[in-house]
Amino acid sequence: MVDREHVQMLPKPPVSKWQAEVNGLKSEILVESNAILLDVLRDKVGTLGVKRGCDMGTCGCCSVLVDGEPRLSCLMLAEEARGRSITTVEGLADGHHLHPIQTCFAEAGGSQCGFCTPGFLVVCSALLEENPEPNKNEIKDAIEGNLCRCTGYQQIVEAVEMAAEIKRSDESPSNLTTPSSDPHPVGPDEPSLPPGDAR
Amino acid sequence: MSGAPRQSFDKTRKDGKRVAGQQDFGVPGSGGSSPQSKLQNIDNIPMSQGGQKKQPRGPHVHDQHITGTSIGKRTPLVDSNWKMTGQARYGDDIRLPGELIGKILRSPHHYATIRSIDTRAAEALKGVVAVATGKDSVNSFGVLPVTKDEHALAQNKVRHVGDLVACVAACDEATAIEALSLIEVEYDILDSIHDMEDGLEDSEHPIHDRGKYHIGESNIQKRVFQQFGNLSSMDEAAASSEADWTFAGLHHGFTEPHAVVAHWDPTGRLTVYTPQQVPHYLHRALSSVLDIPMHQINVYRTFVGGGFGGKSDPFPHEMCAAILARKSGSPVRICFDREEVYWINRGRHPSRIQMGVHADDEGRIAGIETDALIDGGAFASFGHVTTYYNGVLHTSPYEIGGFHYTGARVWTNKPASGAMRGHGAVNSRCAVEVGIDEVSEKLGLDPMTFRLANLLPPHSRTITGFRITSTGMRECLAKVREQSGWDKKFRNLPFGRGIGVGCGFFISGSGLPIHWDPENFPHATVHLQCDMDGGVTVHTGAAEIGQGSDTAIAQAVCEVLALPLDMIRIRSQESDTAPVDLGSYSSRVTFMNANAAIRAAIDLRDKILKATWELIGYHPDQLVLGDRRIYYKHDPAIGVSWLEAVHKAQADSGSLIASGSYRTPPMGGVHKGAAAGLAPAYSFSAYVAEVEVDAETGFIKVVKAWAAHDCGKALNPLAVEGQIIGSCHMGMGQVLSEEMKYGRNGHLMNPDLLDYKIMSVHEMPEVVPIIVESNDPEGPFGAKEAGEGPLLPILPAVCNAVYDAIGIRPDELPLTPDRVHKMIEKKCKELEIDDPLELPNPSFEPSALQQKISERAEEHAERDLQRDLLKDRTAYVNGVLFGFDPELPLIEQDEGWREAITPEQEDLIEDGKRAARAWKHAERRHRGDD
Repeated sequence: MVDREHVQMLPKPPVSKWQAEVNGLKSEILVESNAILLDVLRDKVGTLGVKRGCDMGTCGCCSVLVDGEPRLSCLMLAEEARGRSITTVEGLADGHHLHPIQTCFAEAGGSQCGFCTPGFLVVCSALLEENPEPNKNEIKDAIEGNLCRCTGYQQIVEAVEMAAEIKRSDESPSNLTTPSSDPHPVGPDEPSLPPGDAR
Repeated sequence: MSGAPRQSFDKTRKDGKRVAGQQDFGVPGSGGSSPQSKLQNIDNIPMSQGGQKKQPRGPHVHDQHITGTSIGKRTPLVDSNWKMTGQARYGDDIRLPGELIGKILRSPHHYATIRSIDTRAAEALKGVVAVATGKDSVNSFGVLPVTKDEHALAQNKVRHVGDLVACVAACDEATAIEALSLIEVEYDILDSIHDMEDGLEDSEHPIHDRGKYHIGESNIQKRVFQQFGNLSSMDEAAASSEADWTFAGLHHGFTEPHAVVAHWDPTGRLTVYTPQQVPHYLHRALSSVLDIPMHQINVYRTFVGGGFGGKSDPFPHEMCAAILARKSGSPVRICFDREEVYWINRGRHPSRIQMGVHADDEGRIAGIETDALIDGGAFASFGHVTTYYNGVLHTSPYEIGGFHYTGARVWTNKPASGAMRGHGAVNSRCAVEVGIDEVSEKLGLDPMTFRLANLLPPHSRTITGFRITSTGMRECLAKVREQSGWDKKFRNLPFGRGIGVGCGFFISGSGLPIHWDPENFPHATVHLQCDMDGGVTVHTGAAEIGQGSDTAIAQAVCEVLALPLDMIRIRSQESDTAPVDLGSYSSRVTFMNANAAIRAAIDLRDKILKATWELIGYHPDQLVLGDRRIYYKHDPAIGVSWLEAVHKAQADSGSLIASGSYRTPPMGGVHKGAAAGLAPAYSFSAYVAEVEVDAETGFIKVVKAWAAHDCGKALNPLAVEGQIIGSCHMGMGQVLSEEMKYGRNGHLMNPDLLDYKIMSVHEMPEVVPIIVESNDPEGPFGAKEAGEGPLLPILPAVCNAVYDAIGIRPDELPLTPDRVHKMIEKKCKELEIDDPLELPNPSFEPSALQQKISERAEEHAERDLQRDLLKDRTAYVNGVLFGFDPELPLIEQDEGWREAITPEQEDLIEDGKRAARAWKHAERRHRGDD
């Protein structure tokens, strides 16, 4: 066999303490200086809602908000996000009250297999913060970096329009519970009564 | 109590009696997230059952089980909130404590024998726990029992770049990658084959050896010959279209890369967590590869981030994870990067298809001649089936005078092709529909009318013996014609803008399961379990891959039991708890599993009704299921809550368990290959596409598409529309931009999502989804498939629109600007035109025949309606249009009629056909020289 010298592939990078606010919670962990934000979020912080689709910024599945701006976490060093505020799909809902974009995606059929959904949701929520009344083209521009293989995008654009309307009208949801309360509505008045005699 | 006091909806008749289904009962005390019973929606109950829902195609056997609860309502997927909140766990999201990371060493060569593998240095590396090579797994596997030609790791040959050679499990990814670089492999490189036509010839080292069944010494994996009908009618055709198509290979492009976690638990059982469409085949393959009994394996299907057929084979990396986990004693997780996804492939076959479509002077389709050579890559995968599908799936929706098909699938040194949405039917469908467009033009006919005058009616048989039950083809064509403004636009749009039509036909579940005899074992089984809480747990093996199978099954159950959807819980992930199911392929899940679910639900309902009978004294015939309330039909105030009835039933018989299964009825012919394409029902679709072609650059833009699909009955219109639009997205990708590009040396040049061009939101045109409901007699509540069929018609619709725009018939896909530009240049040269903008714009002048076939189309419309309503119950087979008597075998009525599945000597002399050449070889067992 040919003798050949083996060169180690990855020199061990220095490790340091990294902190950031992920979905409103302070996160303090040790990361390598060359760590990619996506890896840190998935493997160390544990926000597995951030998806790995391509590792090269083509699919948009790994989108997160950094200080409210949509970023591709697979193309970002964790170092860059140090000390900043990161929102992943897990941070969109308020307790059990879903963000309008989450409700509308489900209702409009904007998600089928759901793998690209986290990326779309964070990007669209950022769009709605910036532009409460986006037209179809503005929506398309916002999600052009995200690939969806199931839906054909049509229902996604509809979902964003629906969500924008709900958000604009600022109607408090018919659900009167508080976000942190029991997600299930109150039970029957008097379950002991036989049915039909209830009133 | 939340909310304002509710308005009362109680309805009484004039005589003071309460109207069933329209009473407002307060608290049912039966669970569910809403405490109030809902009114029954009589708009969703068919007229035959006293509701208001119109039944244009007559009643259905499931009508009496419709409670108006769920079927036909736009229903968000039952698992959508998991996905919305990021809590859905896909393959790579399964994290077990103490996990190791597995990585795979892949072949850098197209074709080589392995002389030696030295893993010592890798094993010695700190952090490496296990290394495996081909020696650790010698048993072969494959998705089809007849072609088990894969191994977890290469045995002594690597067959394509990316073939698996060795794998390692290490403490982290960096160490695993490092270890791979330490494995020394010596290869002896062999001459590789990349062109599919080379595969037809004898070779020194065929890629596989099939022993006595090997065809010559070639690389032909499967060959098919089929001839039905009278071929002489083709020779006398009034108009013919001959085309030689080239279709590029395609990848599914799902967003989730393959990933798997394998774990041997302390009792010695293996659990494999994997995003699989077909967990049962993996279950079988794992058992044979690992040499352990099936009951020691639990296959856990995680959420699947897109399948489209690409996650339906048992995969070698799944075996690798199990092998590494066994060797290391720890859970092992393997996640692919995007490039590896392309190395495992299983996408659409690159194909060369010669298509001849012939029409006679009465505007009938005299015959279709197809020769399909498909490039299978290095392994068989579903190849047997694909080879058949390329032919048999275009014998409908039209009545044809003759059908001649030669098909062959060859091995080449590329990543293996396999099943992809529209399995085997897509490419040849495109070719045949473009051919039909061309012959109708040659006959001076409107292609829409031509199609309408040649459709098979409901309750008929195709030329190869498929049993057509319901068909909504006519209505699909009528709807797209109207909504697209076809009659105004066809051949009237300015140069560079065009409109085209295409049709489709697809199986709704494969009639023959791959691994067992349906006579002995049902296609699908569903178990229901109802306990004290009143909720119903559904155990099914149907793989939810995002298409909404969990939702469809839950809907079927809640429809029969009249329960709110949130009281149905689906357990479909684990083989430990699910009844055996064949998985999500061939568009079978809704048809087969929902049918099984309905039967199970009826069983459960009967038990509950019997208990109610004992409680209130009315016979089940007199009882109605309302929302969590069962009541006396003639006085809705007399009744019990769901929970009371459940408790009573449990007091009588212990826990409530019900089971239902589905098997297909006997159907189809008896010839070899008759089972390929056989299905209990078929879906139909017709699309119109409008395009803009820039004749100077060759750039094509689809402006809008109208997509009508006959899904039998839309159980969930939201999901059906999603499937239609999604199919259009994938189909337009194939026709405009997607291809797996192989370089001159046979290397795949675009194994990433940047160069493999999936349509982004900007390229995607508006699609108008149109649902047509033909109410299939055997489908669950009348439903058929909607997942794959909707992809087929978009390709020919776009191709035909391109012709309408610039007068050039494409014969190569995808229609990337460079290809289209070349076609335009060629055409300009032919016509001696300098400026492409001066190319002639196709025009349409109806011939004398047009009037005649339009009358025939109208007659047929009436015929079809009568057959649909079962007022006309006469037999109908393909051939009646040509004057045959359907009651007698056609072969007795026409001397020239042939039904053959092996060629005769004179067939072999033929002409410049490609796949037909596969028949010049003799199988080794027939050669007598060994």
